[in-house]
Amino acid sequence: MSEQALLQIEGIHTFIGQFHILEGVTVSVPRGSIHVLLGRNGAGKTTTLKSIMGITPPSQGRILYNGMPINGKRPYQIAQLGIGYVPEHRAIFKELSVRENLIIAGRSSKDFELKEDFIFELFPDLKRLITLSGGNLSGGQQQMLAVARALVPDNQLLLIDEPSEGLAPVIIETLMEAIQRLSDNVTVLLVEQNFRVASKLAQQFTIIDEGHSVETGEMGDLVSNQELIQKYLGVA
Amino acid sequence: MIKQRSIGDTIRITLQSNWFYLGLLAFLILFPYLVAWFTGDPVGGVGGRPRGESVYWQSVFIEVFIFVILAMSYNLMFGFSGVISFGHALFFGIGGYTTAIILGKTGFINWMTGILQPLSDMMINSFGFADDFNMALTLSLIIASIVAIAIAGLVGLVMGLVTLRLKGVYFAIFTLALSEVALIWVRTWGFTSAEDGFSVTDLPDFINPTRFRINYYYFALICTVLVFLIIRRLMNSPTGRVLLAIRENEDRAQAIGYNTLRYKLLAIVLASMMAAVAGIIQFGFNKRVGPEMFSVRFTIQPLLMVIIGGIGTFSGPVLGATLLDLSETIFDREFVFGEFTLNVGEYWSLILGIAFIVVVLVFPQGIVGTVRTQWQKYRSSRPVDSEKAQNTG
Amino acid sequence: MNNEFQRTMIIVGIIFVALLGTSFGVAMASGNGIGTFGIVIVAGLFNAMLLFLVAAGLSIVFGLMDVLNLAQGAYFTIGAYVAWQFHHAPMFAGIPADLRFVLGVLLATVIGAILGIILERGLLQPLYERPIFQIVLTFGVGIVIGEILKAIWGTAGKQWIEPFGLQQGLFVVFGQQFSIYRLFVIVIGFILIIAIALLLRYTRIGIIIRAGVEDSEMVEALGINVRFVFTGVFTLGCAVATFGGAVAAPFLGAGLGVGQGFLLGAIAVIVLGGLGSYEGTAIGSVLVGLAGQVVIQVTNYANSINIDPETFGGGSFLAGLLNYSTDVVGMSVWSSLTPMILLILVLLLRPSGLFGKER
Repeated sequence: MSEQALLQIEGIHTFIGQFHILEGVTVSVPRGSIHVLLGRNGAGKTTTLKSIMGITPPSQGRILYNGMPINGKRPYQIAQLGIGYVPEHRAIFKELSVRENLIIAGRSSKDFELKEDFIFELFPDLKRLITLSGGNLSGGQQQMLAVARALVPDNQLLLIDEPSEGLAPVIIETLMEAIQRLSDNVTVLLVEQNFRVASKLAQQFTIIDEGHSVETGEMGDLVSNQELIQKYLGVA
Repeated sequence: MIKQRSIGDTIRITLQSNWFYLGLLAFLILFPYLVAWFTGDPVGGVGGRPRGESVYWQSVFIEVFIFVILAMSYNLMFGFSGVISFGHALFFGIGGYTTAIILGKTGFINWMTGILQPLSDMMINSFGFADDFNMALTLSLIIASIVAIAIAGLVGLVMGLVTLRLKGVYFAIFTLALSEVALIWVRTWGFTSAEDGFSVTDLPDFINPTRFRINYYYFALICTVLVFLIIRRLMNSPTGRVLLAIRENEDRAQAIGYNTLRYKLLAIVLASMMAAVAGIIQFGFNKRVGPEMFSVRFTIQPLLMVIIGGIGTFSGPVLGATLLDLSETIFDREFVFGEFTLNVGEYWSLILGIAFIVVVLVFPQGIVGTVRTQWQKYRSSRPVDSEKAQNTG
Repeated sequence: MNNEFQRTMIIVGIIFVALLGTSFGVAMASGNGIGTFGIVIVAGLFNAMLLFLVAAGLSIVFGLMDVLNLAQGAYFTIGAYVAWQFHHAPMFAGIPADLRFVLGVLLATVIGAILGIILERGLLQPLYERPIFQIVLTFGVGIVIGEILKAIWGTAGKQWIEPFGLQQGLFVVFGQQFSIYRLFVIVIGFILIIAIALLLRYTRIGIIIRAGVEDSEMVEALGINVRFVFTGVFTLGCAVATFGGAVAAPFLGAGLGVGQGFLLGAIAVIVLGGLGSYEGTAIGSVLVGLAGQVVIQVTNYANSINIDPETFGGGSFLAGLLNYSTDVVGMSVWSSLTPMILLILVLLLRPSGLFGKER
């Protein structure tokens, strides 16, 4: 274990209002991997991503990115450090066109031009839909746009929250291929409720249960461990 | 063994936990007499006319009571339930104007007198009551007041129904627009004597502020206490807790399953009715109504009073209203500094506005809230020392 | 151009035609001929542009920051007073009138911008976490500004006495003469409407603003310093409102009530147009401006022909309403009343407004 993790979350506590959502979460995301956060609904997975992004900052604990603490910074500063966020429910701008959605993601309008080819190679559909407004896209297309958007700037880390939610299986397959391909260039921290998708994509996992990080390890080990799966991911 | 609380115990506990309010109430009850004792001017006026220090201060405090009620009603809506309104004056005006119109511009009093004739004849003949007119007047006043309060509540209900489903700002805008319209309407309508407003001289004797101001003082005080108690009862009940939850985070309250619309409507209707009560007291006190009752002053004042006093508390609006209204009365005169004369009254609104901004930014909990927080901080920082001392060694 | 938009535009078109048609009809019937119609159009557009100047900032700031800047009216008034003061100050009497006017307007706008920055940075930013207090704060600031203005310039309004070139030129519409200044304001208004529309649609900052109106949290998550954008947009909104007051001053003078009137009118505009919609604000301004003038024209006409209430059934409600509306003296009442009544109607019938995005 010589290489420093790209993202290191150390025992963070996060409150939303008076609600103590995260009660000590520790996650270590090595460079170049796909790491998945697993857990039941409401366990705190989304809040963990939001805490990294600075949207719901932690009140305790540290978050290190490339060895540098980022907790306490404003979201735009964290984003500018090279972290891309793909939230739950897509969060693309429905009133803006696909092109505008992609342009706004860059530091300047030039950024998209540079990445255009790469993005259209990953998501060929987007090229066809480029002038359509976000609201006119299907769920799957919106999801691709959301991921594509995170690729426009030179991001090293992508935070992707439940990309497969509400999508048809065929679309999910396409999406998974795309994520696998881009993981050659970026590190991915994934939140995924769908265990099949999670197990196929991710190399490592961390399980979050009721605001605590409880288990972590290699995905290969987890897949065969029915007991753990039942305990933390099974239907309550 | 089940321990029953005796009545004596209940009384004792009530007294202990409310000592502040009860003390204040006792003071207010005795107040006119204290002033009279202190200055020598009788409670009922000098030479049979409403003059003298005691009467003057009764008037001052009647106005204070009106604003306390207005502030408490605004606090119920804004402080406890999180509903913003920029047209509170609307309900204040409705209260005053409706009552005044019924009593002064319709034949209602005459009609009541006619209807009650047989009853009053019987009272005069059988029981020796001298005054028949007063009974009709009193009943008219009561009925007119009830109608006014009901209308205010109805208006609040309709406004809430129409706009509460949308963002909160819509309700605020609606109240602003409606009170503006009401102001213009009443100010230009011949029926309500346009800009001048109109007077109503027919008020039951025993409550006529010109003849028995002290009675009116106690009347206003009783209304204030009643409104206070109603609000406290409401907020300490489960309904009140739901309102507070809605104020904190409406989405969460809805997720839990509460029909937040209904609760907010309740708060609005109650608040509007209470504001109408304040308007009625104002009307009775001046024995006239004027378009200024719909002016933005009666929206701004309670807002300021609540925020400065302490939003979302019971004593906050009381403190804020008393402080602001008394200060305005006291400082509405000129101060001479050597060659320099300063009429604070002119700049009062400016001072108030700046104080308001400072409070919103620096002391958002108002006086009462900030004091309470500091007190709690102080208390929670002390026992730790004794605990530590116990654990070491 | 989707269906929703097209349908709304048709409704807008119908309203326009109805307004203009009514005005035209009344103008002809009243015997003054088409001249009255011309007045309605010119005065209506003039007011519409002023309304737009106040409403534009109000609308975009609300869409972006969820704050209803109730101090906008006060900024308008500041603009009027500063422009008036500069133009009538003996100190600057040496400067030629036209130039003096332009400088006065510029000065007012700059002051408005500075005060806007102070308000947003100093007072609003600390309250981002407490949105309820933000609107309450702008309300308070509006009052304070009003009081300060009262302290400086007194409670009586100021009339525009010193003329300047543009004011004195005349142009003719439908046989009716108007000061060229009116046209000047209308043209400036149109230019601004289009300029802002172009900015929103084609520039990067425009994209950011439109995205921010939808979801400012996501915009920040994309690496954009939204607070900076907030301050900029807010300041511009205040500056434009102040500009409006300065530009209106030669006609409306400077007074405490005028700004408040335009604030209420602007609120009516943005609710009618749909909160957060720029097209709604632009179109709404024209609608409210025109409607205001049409109402005045119609009530004047009704006043002049002494309609017999009996035709509406004597003591009926309609007769009473008619009596009231013809008794009411002065345009000023109806100019304040019409936007409020429109606002209430919109809230009752279709609260999301014409182009609103309320789900």
